[in-house]
Amino acid sequence: MGDIYQLKQVCHFYGSKKILDIEQMTISRGSILGISGANGSGKSTLLKLLAFAMAPAQGQIRFNGRPEAPMSPRVRSRVTLLTQTPYLLKRSVLDNVTYGLKVRNQTDHLQERAADALIAVGLDPQGFSGRMWHELSGGEAQRVAMAARLVLKPEALLLDEPVASVDTQSAALIRQASLAARDSWGCTLIIVSHDLSWLHEVSDTRISMADGKIFSTGKESIIPGPYARDNHGHMVRFLDDGSEIRLSDPFLPEHTANPTAVIQKEKLYLYPAMDTNGDRVNRLPARITQMLLEQKTGRILTTMDLKGFTLCLSVTANQAAQLDLVPGKQIILVFSPEDVDWR
Amino acid sequence: MLTKKRVSVLAAGLCLMMMAGVALAGSGKSLMMATTTSTDNTGLLDELIPHFEKETGIALKWTATGTGKALKLGQNCDVDVLLVHAPPAEKAYIKNGFGKDRRQIMYNDFVIIGPKADPAGITGKDISAALTAIKARGERFISRGDDSGTNKKEKLLWKSAGIPLPDQEAWYVQTGQGMLATINVAQEKKGYTMTDRGTYIKYQDQQGGHAPLTVLVEGDAILLNQYAVLTLDPKNCPHAKYELAKTFSDWMASDSAQKKISEFRLLGQKLFIPNAN
Amino acid sequence: MDYLISGFVKGLGLLISKDASTWSAVGATLQASTASMAVSLAAGLPCGFLLGYYDFPWKRALRTVVDTLLALPTVCVGLLIYALISSRGPFGAYDLLFTVSGIAAGQAILAFPIVTAITASIIESIDANLKLTLVSLGAGKKDILATCLWEVRYGILAAAVTAYGRVLTEVGISMMVGGNIKYHTRTITTAIALETNKGMFADGIALGLVLMTIALAVNVSLAFLRKR
Repeated sequence: MGDIYQLKQVCHFYGSKKILDIEQMTISRGSILGISGANGSGKSTLLKLLAFAMAPAQGQIRFNGRPEAPMSPRVRSRVTLLTQTPYLLKRSVLDNVTYGLKVRNQTDHLQERAADALIAVGLDPQGFSGRMWHELSGGEAQRVAMAARLVLKPEALLLDEPVASVDTQSAALIRQASLAARDSWGCTLIIVSHDLSWLHEVSDTRISMADGKIFSTGKESIIPGPYARDNHGHMVRFLDDGSEIRLSDPFLPEHTANPTAVIQKEKLYLYPAMDTNGDRVNRLPARITQMLLEQKTGRILTTMDLKGFTLCLSVTANQAAQLDLVPGKQIILVFSPEDVDWR
Repeated sequence: MLTKKRVSVLAAGLCLMMMAGVALAGSGKSLMMATTTSTDNTGLLDELIPHFEKETGIALKWTATGTGKALKLGQNCDVDVLLVHAPPAEKAYIKNGFGKDRRQIMYNDFVIIGPKADPAGITGKDISAALTAIKARGERFISRGDDSGTNKKEKLLWKSAGIPLPDQEAWYVQTGQGMLATINVAQEKKGYTMTDRGTYIKYQDQQGGHAPLTVLVEGDAILLNQYAVLTLDPKNCPHAKYELAKTFSDWMASDSAQKKISEFRLLGQKLFIPNAN
Repeated sequence: MDYLISGFVKGLGLLISKDASTWSAVGATLQASTASMAVSLAAGLPCGFLLGYYDFPWKRALRTVVDTLLALPTVCVGLLIYALISSRGPFGAYDLLFTVSGIAAGQAILAFPIVTAITASIIESIDANLKLTLVSLGAGKKDILATCLWEVRYGILAAAVTAYGRVLTEVGISMMVGGNIKYHTRTITTAIALETNKGMFADGIALGLVLMTIALAVNVSLAFLRKR
């Protein structure tokens, strides 16, 4: 099938701060990529670069095998980005949906194509075509924005938190429409979302981002900064209540700025809250906040809160039963500082 | 709502308005004159000029400014003919090659007006004695201070009374404005001022004949206010309409015009005395 | 004080009557202001867009200059125009002095910085998402320019109304360049100046009322363009 995107040593800055640092990344055509991460981790920047809305400060982004830049004719209308908050032009719904087509002078069958796109997002063309931009609810507006992009039949559809600010019905319709695009014409979907269950359900590949860097979610968990050194000179991460997580000493190539601590998920252990067993150094009280079934694997994605950050672990149904894991339960998370790697 | 359709309607409307303006601009013989505010403010020209246009078929447009500016406009060839009242300046104008012919048309006189109470006691005095008294008592005197024909005359009066121009004196108020405006300032401040009789009558007429300022000094020979039509020297202004300007000059001196000038009254009083003979 | 009331009453009378000099002044005012607005919008909108959209080394300095020009005294503009279109001036051959066209030219110069500065501000404050959306939909450079301007059309309308207000009420240019010639270049504002100079305050107020009525009529017709 080939790769639709290839990124090589892409960096981007905000002023003098490096906000994106991707050594290497590929996205295969027709796949669905899910991106998660905390705010400020660089997700939106990455999407904007992939949408060719701006050029990276350093590095190269290849689209369909060729390095491309913003405004390139080979990229225009083939890649489209849907922003988090719906943004419509100050005109009717129909004019909004057909804008991209008119701009490319593809003016045949405008009404029909627009109608198809509106139906795909669950909006009745008869009732909605004539409505003005200020006569729509948030969810309807986002759906119209989606329709405006679907009508272009893009090769890549980039969605930045597409359902974060809409009602549940609109959210469902938008998700449906994105999948239909992939099924219909092989559209590659790149989705940024906080909705981990949806991402897990829908994506072929998942990555998470922190400090502008990419981590593959499956195998590693991120222990996010800020980091400090304690009185004994050890590298630690302080939690909200003053307790600390001991980490290993980072040794990294000279040029690495903003190192991030990660640990292999298999090196994380869960124990019941009362358990005093174990000699490993880091014994952290944690509270389970969310448990989701990963439909593809049958495992349970468990999110826990550690008084300063959250961590995700994937456990088998058996382990969950043994530890009697339920949302709201206190448990102990245990790991050794030496198992902490730095990227 | 601002739709493209409505914007096009608006734009069409604006275009029509502008075209209407352009269409109204006529053609035919026209003449541009510069005159003084005192002349214009009396209303004489509004009375007189329509007759000129009817009899000669020349459309006369005039702008009223101070004498200084009127002369400047002529020098710059922005107008075709002048109607002013500053004989020394006019004669110098011709000498300097800006003006060609000067023709006396009418005159009136200047008067000193002031509050009826007359605090400086100048009533009936001759002009030099009056000015001396005003200065001695430090009573307020309002001047136009704008180097207009009237202003030039006023400065001449101080000079001939042997008094240096009271430029910096506290009681000497320079308005820098036209005659009627200056009279109004004098009225507000209950002071004295020098004005041409024509404007004075107009001022009285505005107030229904009951204005608080009244004529206190008049009659001296030096108070003569002579109006003249000046044509521009074609050597300085080759594009000025010299022939039409001469026609205007001749017409103003004609019997019919002179008669109409004589008949122009406000409050039953004559404002100008024709003397083009 | 009594001239305020008598002036108001007189003004109402002037509006209903067919007084030729008043209506000719109204006509001159409308012609000059409409023509000058058309020119200043045609020149000011693109300049304002360029100034707001692009970043270049001396952008701040240029912006400051334009903002300073907002305070141009009308008499100074009048003098400048007079120097240019006087018989002895570089444009003397066009016979613009003492014409409504000359007044319009001066007023266009007055309105130009207003349109430019306000448009630049509007463009600068355009939602960043607009450009992102347009790029997402495949718009090229020219489309982005045209669509951006259309999107901010309400702001631009406000800029036009502001400039129009300044142009409608100025005296300095109309007086210096027009010459206040009755039935030709006497505008409402120069007529007001003339009457008040003659001490005819009531007439001044009356004409002021006529001017306000014109402004009201214009704003009412523009209001129907506004977003409901």
